[in-house]
Amino acid sequence: MLQEFNYLAPKSKNELYAQLKKYSGKARILAGGTDILVELHNQWVAPEYLIDIKKIGDFQGISFDEDEGLSIGATTVCIDLIKDRNAKKHFPLLVDAAHRIGSPQLRNRATIGGNLCTASPCADMGCSLLALNASVEIGSEEGTRVIPLKEFFTGPKKTQIKKHEILQRIIVPAEMAGAKFGMQKLKRIKGHDIALVSVAMARTAKVMRVGIGSCGPTPVVTEDLPPRASLRAVVKAVKKVVSPIDDVRASKDYRLFMTRQFVEAIYPELFKRS
Amino acid sequence: MQIKLTVNGKKYQRDASETKNLLHFLREDLGLTGTKEGCGAGECGACTVIMNGRTVNSCLILAVEADDCDIQTIEGEAKDGNLSELQQAFHKNHAVQCGFCTPGMIMSARALLQKTAKPSVEEIKEAIEGNFCRCTGYQQIIEAVQDASGQLKKKEGLRRA
Repeated sequence: MLQEFNYLAPKSKNELYAQLKKYSGKARILAGGTDILVELHNQWVAPEYLIDIKKIGDFQGISFDEDEGLSIGATTVCIDLIKDRNAKKHFPLLVDAAHRIGSPQLRNRATIGGNLCTASPCADMGCSLLALNASVEIGSEEGTRVIPLKEFFTGPKKTQIKKHEILQRIIVPAEMAGAKFGMQKLKRIKGHDIALVSVAMARTAKVMRVGIGSCGPTPVVTEDLPPRASLRAVVKAVKKVVSPIDDVRASKDYRLFMTRQFVEAIYPELFKRS
Repeated sequence: MQIKLTVNGKKYQRDASETKNLLHFLREDLGLTGTKEGCGAGECGACTVIMNGRTVNSCLILAVEADDCDIQTIEGEAKDGNLSELQQAFHKNHAVQCGFCTPGMIMSARALLQKTAKPSVEEIKEAIEGNFCRCTGYQQIIEAVQDASGQLKKKEGLRRA
């Protein structure tokens, strides 16, 4: 039995907004539950209210629009992103990244929005979505706002989301559709481990970007690099944004070394003819 | 909160505590103790059940979230006291030692076989990557799933006579 809380399951956005406002600071959001239930189980958190957002239709599903790009509802589970026709066609990097998350049991349950809101420095979707210059739509009773993902993360487990707000969807811009890409994730055991380092790179005719996970307080991304940037320039841009620490899983030096190895390994992939 | 759900084809309606996870609900409220609790944190896969056709860690789901869902557990495998083919294959191929991981392992294998009639070794490995087994070393489990899908030749396998 977990500690006491009240379970709420709003069926519409407006109902949720009202609850978030009413229970501001006392509530936690339940999406896939793969993080929050562990926190409840270990008694790391003690919310008075647990608000299940999976019944809200507006936060579900994936769609593609030629102008806007790919819209991913916050409660979309990893396996649905992996299977999505538009994601496979236009943003295979995201499919690759989602496929690297946890185990089948977790991919069947964990949501894309939850992965971002947990805001772990090693968030698996973080570095790939950053490389694709994604934005997030945040809603509340006051209306909705869209911010770039790179401004969304503010620290380990910290985001721009205020207590009365909710992450509604993730938008991957159409201009990044069809980007050449590569991803590498360092971990000890497939299916059971947190990334020690992850690197995702994307390149279109106009721009190249590198997203890096587990190498700073949040997932980070390089500045926009020219599409034909040299490997040296890419490595330099990566060094500018990473700031790994020594911890139980890997040393700072090892992380820096592996980040560079991954960048060097992925770089040629970005220039392959399709 | 009143919830309705189907477990192994049987319909149940119960008043479920909001703070109880699906694993404990199955074990304590429905008496289905085949599903085991290992870590309680979504790492080990011992509590794996199939929910609406997909494997999930039942320790990471609240019972109330399973309202209106279709659940399959290890109790749904054997019929009239006879082991399912998949269970027989586990038995025959020595895919069980202590047996604690087996209910979850079989549910992961079952979900795979429901989608893929003849899975490759890679597909089998991926399907069970969320299930820890500390006894067998996995090889016999992979062979059991191959056997259950009619893919194991007679002399193949580590320990087959």
